[in-house]
Amino acid sequence: MLTMGIDIGSAACKSLILKDGKHILSKEVFPLGTGTSGPNKVFEQALANACLEHKDLDHIMVTGYGRFTFDAADSQRSEITCHAAGMHFTMPKVRTLIDIGGQDIKILRLNERGKVESFVMNDKCAAGTGRFLEVMARVMNVRIEDLGALSMQSTEEVSISNTCTVFAESEVISKLSTGVKLPDLVAGILASVAKRVASLAFRNGVEAEVGMSGGVALNEGIINALSKELKTQILVPELCQYLGALGAAIYAGKEAL
Amino acid sequence: MSEVKDTPIESSPLPAPKPKRPLPLSRQMVNEQTAKCYAEAWAAKENGEPVGWSTAIFPQEVCEAFGVPVLYPENNAAAISAKHLGDPFIEHAEGAMGFPINICSYARLNMGMADVLDNPDYKADPAMPRPDFLLLANNSCTQLMKWYECLSEALNIPIFFVDCLFNYYEEEPAFYKVKYVRSQIENYIENMEKFLKRKLDWDKYLEVQKRSQINCQLFNEIVDLNRRTPAPMSGFDLFNYMSCLVLCRGKESTTEIFKQLKAEVEENIKNNTSTFPGEEKYRVHWEGIACWPNLGFNLKKLKEYNVNAVMNGYVTAWDVRYAPGDLDGMAKAYQTSSTNSLSTPTIMNKRVDSIKNFGCDGMLCHVNRSCKLMTFHIFVGREIVESNAHIPVANFDGDQSDTRIFSEAQFETRLQGLVEIMKEQKEGAV
Repeated sequence: MLTMGIDIGSAACKSLILKDGKHILSKEVFPLGTGTSGPNKVFEQALANACLEHKDLDHIMVTGYGRFTFDAADSQRSEITCHAAGMHFTMPKVRTLIDIGGQDIKILRLNERGKVESFVMNDKCAAGTGRFLEVMARVMNVRIEDLGALSMQSTEEVSISNTCTVFAESEVISKLSTGVKLPDLVAGILASVAKRVASLAFRNGVEAEVGMSGGVALNEGIINALSKELKTQILVPELCQYLGALGAAIYAGKEAL
Repeated sequence: MSEVKDTPIESSPLPAPKPKRPLPLSRQMVNEQTAKCYAEAWAAKENGEPVGWSTAIFPQEVCEAFGVPVLYPENNAAAISAKHLGDPFIEHAEGAMGFPINICSYARLNMGMADVLDNPDYKADPAMPRPDFLLLANNSCTQLMKWYECLSEALNIPIFFVDCLFNYYEEEPAFYKVKYVRSQIENYIENMEKFLKRKLDWDKYLEVQKRSQINCQLFNEIVDLNRRTPAPMSGFDLFNYMSCLVLCRGKESTTEIFKQLKAEVEENIKNNTSTFPGEEKYRVHWEGIACWPNLGFNLKKLKEYNVNAVMNGYVTAWDVRYAPGDLDGMAKAYQTSSTNSLSTPTIMNKRVDSIKNFGCDGMLCHVNRSCKLMTFHIFVGREIVESNAHIPVANFDGDQSDTRIFSEAQFETRLQGLVEIMKEQKEGAV
């Protein structure tokens, strides 16, 4: 049985093809979110990677912010339970899942079967999200994927007091004008994100092991800052960016039966 | 080159609009009662008689016995917001009047309205006439005091204040607190007699108390009928009928409405029907004030996901129960009926009991930007609910009147996530 999961986020699209609910045949990511060509690109490319055609798939499930707008899908599901299923597939011992997406932060508490026991999400505010990091990277004129490595060069973290994206942007501009070192500023920005995410995580209860999903999990600076705030090691699966799509592909398998 | 001719496009006839389901008789009676209340207030105003504005959980028995019309700005703001007519008043309050966005949106809406009462273009639905006095009880919110002080100053009218005390650690208020609130009510009666230049008819006052108790009891009985599975009512109906207790708790017309409603609900039970417009697969407990401007969207999505919000804690706030004639009992009741007058553990454990009684599978919490006090219960309270009622909880952002806060996509994602968890728990997959 071949199933595809597609995660259409606000900032990026991810797809993944699963064989018999166990073997990953193909995966694709594209840095454009819902309302763009991203969903079709990851759909077609994942098929091309595995030398498959649309008709070969038994079920396609879509998740993420753009889950209601992808016509080729057979069904849709919320990203909350999809991320949980994806994490359980890759790291079954994880009990606390942190996902930082383009505009959402999710903290999920999972049981030993990978089912969600409780969840909290950010309020209607971009602070601490992937979008926040995008804005900060743009202000500093650095690539978002370089933030982690830059933060590791920091010798003296510069504190960012504002959590609001707009005010934090002004604060970063102001700090830049005073000549602070870029790595110190980046470290401060990542620490502010970590503090925000940690406060949400504590609200839901943090139980080991703690795992992280989403593209932001590729940023080692965030992982370090968050580990410091939560006082625990944070596990990052290799497929961190694809966990939503993976979970959707797993659930697609259940629906296809 | 060929000539391009304009070809008239034949438009296909528009599909006939879906006929609206007629309102049940009880709802028609609610609408008539509300219209009558406003008409009486306007008529009194035109006759030069005093009209009051009151906070939502005030000892209404006194003015009812005096026969003085009273309207309720919170109730009015909710009605206006549900009709999406509140933005101009809120904008006026924030803009020309300079009130900050962080204060309660009912307050912003009402103060914005109060500022234009004498404007010839003043229009609202429902529209309140200019008040001659204010009735203020701080049992549901402390911000009410500043709101009413502003009104009092702007309109140059007196406030009759019943100071209720917050119950920090106790479920039952201590005797000295009851004594204090009782003295406030006695003082209020005395001052109202001076203001109206006539004495209170104590027999009539007792009758109003009795009527109020009958109405509260009837409403409780109706709410309790929703314990049945599937529920005979959409839980959102309670928001509509609750207005009778806010606006006309001491009136006989409310008794008639509740009797009619009870008969309709019992008929639904008999026929295994419901006013919930979908299949009730999941039952949730709603926490917080309704998201009035988004009530239609909320109900539409609840229906889509087969979720009936069978019960909510908000509607119990007008369950002001006491023995008629017992002023101590009345003082105690006004001090404890509101969610916001009790400590978080007390109120959330009441919710736990309610969740169990109503067989709820989950809880949906409105994180209401306007009502900080009620919202802050939720953040700590969810742990109490999760550990004592063992059901999942989901929060969403919204506001009782400010249309800028709610996000449709956010609401749907949280609701869908909650449904998926409830489904897995029901199927025993967890």
